Amino acid sequence: MSRQSPFVVEILTAIGLVAAAFILPYVGFSPTTMSRIVVWGLFGVGFDILFGYTGLLSFGQSAFYGTGGMIAAYLLTMVGFPHVLMSIVIGTIVAAVVGYLVGLIALRRTGIYFAMITVAIAEVFYFVEFNPLSAYTGGENGLPGVPTPTLPLGFTTIRFNTDFSLYAFFAFWYFIGIVIALRIIRSPVGAILSAIRDNPLRAAAVGHNIHSYKLTAFVVAAAYAGFAGGLLGVLQGFMPPEAFTFDTSGQLVIQTAIGGAGTLFGPLVGATVWLYLSDFFQNTLHLGATWKLVLGVVFVLLVCFLRRGLIGAIKDLYELATRPRAKKEPKETTPIPGMTAEEEQKAAHIEIARGPAPPLEIAKEPPPPMPARHRAADDFTGPILQATGLTKRYGGLVANSDINFTVNRGELRGIIGPNGAGKTTFFRMLTCEVPPTSGKIVFEGRDITGFDVTEVCQLGLTKSYQVNQLFARLTVRENLTISALAELRGKFRLDMFSRLQNISGLAEQVERTLELVDLTGRADVAVSALAYGEKRRLEVGLALASSPSLLLLDEPLAGLSPRERIEMVKLLRSISQGRTMIVVDHDMDSLLELVERVTVLQEGRVLVEGTPSEIKSNAAVQEAYLGGALAA
Amino acid sequence: MINWGNFISQVFNGVVLGALLALISSGLTIIYGTLGILNLAHGAMFMLGGYAGWLAYTYTGSFIVAVIAGSLFVMLVGVVMERVIIRHFYSRPHEDQLLVTFGLGIVFVETIRFFFGSLSKTVPPPHVFAGITSLGFMFYPTYRLAVVVIVALALLALYLMLYRTRLGMIVRAGIEDSIMVDSLGINVYRIFMSVFGIGAMAAGFAGIVNAPVVSIAPDVGEGILVQTFVVVVIGGVGSFPGAVLGGFIAGEIISITSMFNPGYSYVMLFVAMTLVLVLRPYGLLGTAGR
Amino acid sequence: MSLLEVKDLNTYYGDSHILFNVSLNVKRNEVVALLGRNGAGKSTTLKSLMGVVTPRTGSIVFDGAEISGQKSHLIAQAGMQLVHEERRIFGSLNVEENLILAGLTAPNRWPLERVYAMFPRLKERRTSRGTDLSGGEQQMLAIARALVREPKILLLDEPFEGLAPIIVRDLLTTCRALAEAGQTILVVEQNITAAMTLADRVYVLNNGHIVETFTAEAVRGQPELLHRHLGV
Repeated sequence: MSRQSPFVVEILTAIGLVAAAFILPYVGFSPTTMSRIVVWGLFGVGFDILFGYTGLLSFGQSAFYGTGGMIAAYLLTMVGFPHVLMSIVIGTIVAAVVGYLVGLIALRRTGIYFAMITVAIAEVFYFVEFNPLSAYTGGENGLPGVPTPTLPLGFTTIRFNTDFSLYAFFAFWYFIGIVIALRIIRSPVGAILSAIRDNPLRAAAVGHNIHSYKLTAFVVAAAYAGFAGGLLGVLQGFMPPEAFTFDTSGQLVIQTAIGGAGTLFGPLVGATVWLYLSDFFQNTLHLGATWKLVLGVVFVLLVCFLRRGLIGAIKDLYELATRPRAKKEPKETTPIPGMTAEEEQKAAHIEIARGPAPPLEIAKEPPPPMPARHRAADDFTGPILQATGLTKRYGGLVANSDINFTVNRGELRGIIGPNGAGKTTFFRMLTCEVPPTSGKIVFEGRDITGFDVTEVCQLGLTKSYQVNQLFARLTVRENLTISALAELRGKFRLDMFSRLQNISGLAEQVERTLELVDLTGRADVAVSALAYGEKRRLEVGLALASSPSLLLLDEPLAGLSPRERIEMVKLLRSISQGRTMIVVDHDMDSLLELVERVTVLQEGRVLVEGTPSEIKSNAAVQEAYLGGALAA
Repeated sequence: MINWGNFISQVFNGVVLGALLALISSGLTIIYGTLGILNLAHGAMFMLGGYAGWLAYTYTGSFIVAVIAGSLFVMLVGVVMERVIIRHFYSRPHEDQLLVTFGLGIVFVETIRFFFGSLSKTVPPPHVFAGITSLGFMFYPTYRLAVVVIVALALLALYLMLYRTRLGMIVRAGIEDSIMVDSLGINVYRIFMSVFGIGAMAAGFAGIVNAPVVSIAPDVGEGILVQTFVVVVIGGVGSFPGAVLGGFIAGEIISITSMFNPGYSYVMLFVAMTLVLVLRPYGLLGTAGR
Repeated sequence: MSLLEVKDLNTYYGDSHILFNVSLNVKRNEVVALLGRNGAGKSTTLKSLMGVVTPRTGSIVFDGAEISGQKSHLIAQAGMQLVHEERRIFGSLNVEENLILAGLTAPNRWPLERVYAMFPRLKERRTSRGTDLSGGEQQMLAIARALVREPKILLLDEPFEGLAPIIVRDLLTTCRALAEAGQTILVVEQNITAAMTLADRVYVLNNGHIVETFTAEAVRGQPELLHRHLGV
C-alpha cells in the first residue's frame, strides 16, 4: 500500500462513494440504508486502527459512539446550539477526552483482560446514560429533534434535508475520515502501531514507548466513534440510547471481522453486507427476527474459515489468479550435494579454525561498517558498561551474586558458563529486562539501574534475542524501519500526519542496515516468507538499525546450520567494527574464535576472565565444564 | 436516612446475587485457567440453562427435573462446542477465540429467540420454597434464601469435584501444566472437553436456579456476562477461590448501591475493578502469568 | 533388537533447526548417557522422544512400535517416561496426589508403599504441596512420579542439576540401584562424573549432531576422549 503512487486509494474512494449513490439504489439499497452503512463504516475506520492495525480488540466502542452522539444531540436539542457540525465536533472532542481517560485504565492490561475491561466500562456508560443522566440524555427515549445540517454559502444555503443529500453529507465525511486514517497509517505512528500489533515486546525493546502509542490509537478510535455517533443523531433525527448498548459494540466488531480487519475499508464492506442482508432477510424473505440468527451463523463460519474477512479473501483470490505458480519457496542454503551433516559441520569447524580474518580483509568487505551513533556521551572516556555488585534473587534462589563486570569501548566480549551458571539472568539484568535485587549498572557514565528496555535502547544499549522477535506481518524493510524510527524520533512523538519518506536519514539508515545484514535483495519480502537463516540475520539487523553503541547478542548462532554459522560469525565480526558487543552463545568454538575477551560465569558468580586462549588453558574452567571428574 | 430494614434486605440480595455470580464466574474462570479460552458465550450458557430448565418444567412440572435438565443440557452444549469448534482455536490468536465465542453466543441467543420468542418466561419456585420467611427482624422471600443454600451447595460440589476427586486433581494439574499431564499418560484433550462441559454446566445450573428469581429472556445472559467479567478481573483470572470471593464482592456492591441509586451500581462495580487493577493488577487472588 | 531405536531425527523450534539427523539406540536393561554442552540439543532429543515436541522427520521405534508424531499421552501409555529438567511438579497438588495422578493410566503401577520405600523422604512429606518442597525433594518426586508408571524406559534430563552434593550422592545411589534392577535409562547430564558412574554407553551431542559414541570403559580409560566436545 505504501509503494503505490500517491492518492490512488483516496481517489478510488471518492469515485466509489459517488458511484454508489447512482448504482446502489438500483440493487435494492435505500438512501437511508446507504447512509447508515457509511456511518457504520466511519465508526469502523477508527475501530480498525485500534483492532486491525494495533491489535487491540475492544468490545466497548459503544461508550464513545454514544458519548459523542449524546453530547452533539444535547447541544443541538437541549441547549439550542444552532451549528450542527460544530456540535458534532465538540462531541468528538469530548469522546476523545473520555477515550483518553478510559484508555489509561483499560490499557493497563492486554489480551483478554483488555477485552473484558472495555466491555465493563462500556456497560458503565450505558447505565449512567440510562439512569443518573437521564435528565440530559432523555434516558430510554433518547433525544428527539436533532436538526439536519445546513451549509451557508453567503448567497444561498445548502440544506441537507433529503435522504439523498444526507447521504452526500455522510459520504463526504466518510471520505474525510478515510483520508485522515490513510494519512495516519502511512505515518511513522501508523508503522509503529502495526509493529505493536505484531510484537509489542520487540516494539518496546527497539525503543518505542508502546503504551503511549496504544493510547494514541485508543483515542483516535474514540474520536472516530464520537464523530460517527454525532452523525447517527443527524441521520435518525434523534439520538437513540441504543447507541450505548453492548450490541452496538458487538455489531461493530462483527462488521469489521466480516469485511476484514486491518484494511480500513473492512468495516464499510462488513456494514454493507450486514445491513443489506438484514434488510433482505426481513423485508424480502420475511424472516422476521431470524435474520440475526442467520447472520450469527454466517459470522461464526467466517471466523472459522475466512480468517481475514471478505477483503482478505478477495485479495487472496486476486493473488492466486494473477500469479499462478510464480510463488517459489526461498531456498535456505544450497546444500552441497553428497555432503552429510557431519561433513558439513566439520567443514564449518575447519573454516572457523582458520582464525579471525585479518583486519585488512574486513576493511575490504563490501558494506562499510555502519557507525554507532555519535552522542554527547561518546566523549565519556571510561568503560562503556560497568556493573558492580550485581545480585539477583528469585525467592530463596540466588541466580547471580555480587557480579562485577566491566566492558571497555570497542571491546568484543563473550560470556560463557555451564548450565545453571546464571548467564541468562545476568544478561537480562544488563539489558534492563529484569531489575537487579541489588547492585548497580552504569552505561557510558550514567546509572541505568532500574531503567526499562525502552529507555536503555534510546540511550544506545540494545540486544538481539535468542528466539527471533520479529514483526511477522511486515516486510524486512518495514521491520528495520521500525527500529530505525526509534532512534530518529525518540520513544514517542505524535507525528501522525507526516510521511515516513520525509524523515531525513531514515531511508539511508535502513538501506545501510539491509546491506550490512545482507538482506538487500529480500527487502520487500514479508518476514513470514524468509528462511530461518535470513530471519536470524534480520533479528541482528533489528538491533543494529537503532545504531546502538553497545550491542548485546543472545545466542546469535542458535538454530543455525553449520554453514549459516560461518556466515553469522563473519557478519558479527564485520558489525563489531566501531561498536562494543557482548555475545552469549553455546557454540564454544565459534564464540571463542569471534571474541577478544571472555567472562566465565559459574554458579552465579564470575569464575574467571581472560582472552580465549587463557580461558581454554584454565584448569578451573575445564573443571567447571567437565564436572571435575575427568579433569581431576 | 438509611432504612436499616431495607439495608439488611439488600445485603441479603447481595448474598444471593453474589452466590450466583460466584458460581457462574467459577465456570468461566476454570475454563480459562485450563484451556486459555475466554468464553464470551458463557452468558448464553446461563440463558440456555434457564430455557432448558423451563422447558423441562413445563413438561414435567417438577423443579428438580428442571434443574437437572438445565444443567445437563448446557453441559452437553459445552462438550459439543468444545469438540466441534473450540478445539480448533487453541492454537489461534486470542482475538479469534474471542470472535468465535462471541459469535456462538449470538447464535445461541438467536436460536432461543427463534423457537421461544423474545417474551420472558417464568418458572415458579418449588412449593416447599414458596412464600416468605420471617427472619425475626424482617421478612424475606423463602426461595431467595433457598437459592443461597442451593448455590452454596453447588459451589461446595464444585469445590469437592476440584479438590477431592481424581478428575479435579487432573483439572488442577492441567491448569498448572497441561503438557506435563499429557506426559503422564492422561489424554488432556479429553480433560479439556470435560472442563468445558463442567464450566458451562456451572453457568447453566445458575441459569435455571435463578429462573424463579428473575424471569428468563433470550438476552438475560448479556448483563450476567459483563458482571462475570468484573468478578474474574477482581478475583484473578483462572482462580477458583478468586471467582468466589469476587462474586460476593460484586454482588454486595451491586445490591447495596442499588439501594441508593441502581444507576450507579455499575459505576461502583467499575470503580472497584479499577482499584483492583491499579493496586493488584492480577486480581485479589490471581497470580502473574495468567 | 533394541528397546529404543532412533533414526535420522530432525527437530525444529518454529523454523529453527535444533536436531540434525540424530540416530541412537538403547537396549533393554541398558543405561545410556547423552552428553554435550548446553545448547547441544540434549533436552530437545528427550522431548522429541516423549512427544513433547514433535520431530519433523525421522523415526522412533519404541518396543517394536513407531511412536514418532504420536501424542505424549500415548507414548507415556506405551511405557516411556521423561523426568523433565525443570521437574514440573504440580505445585498445587501434594506429594501423594502427584504420585496418584501419575499412576492413573499406567497398566502396572507401583504401589505407593514401594515408592515410599525407595524415597522415605517423600513419605514424610506426603501431604506437603509441591510448591513447598525443596529442590532435592522435588527431584525425588519427579523421578518417583515417573517410576510409579513402571516405565520400560526412563528418560532423565539433568537429574542432578542444582542439587547439593549430598543429595546428588543419595539420588545417584538410588539411580544405580534402579539400573542394577534392570531399569532401562537414557540420561542427559552435565555432571560427567555422575553420568559416568551410571552409564554403560555414551553418546556425545554437539550443535544438534551426534558426533561420537563410546563405551563407558573407553571413557574411563581415556577421559580426554570427551574433552574435544565437552571442554572449552
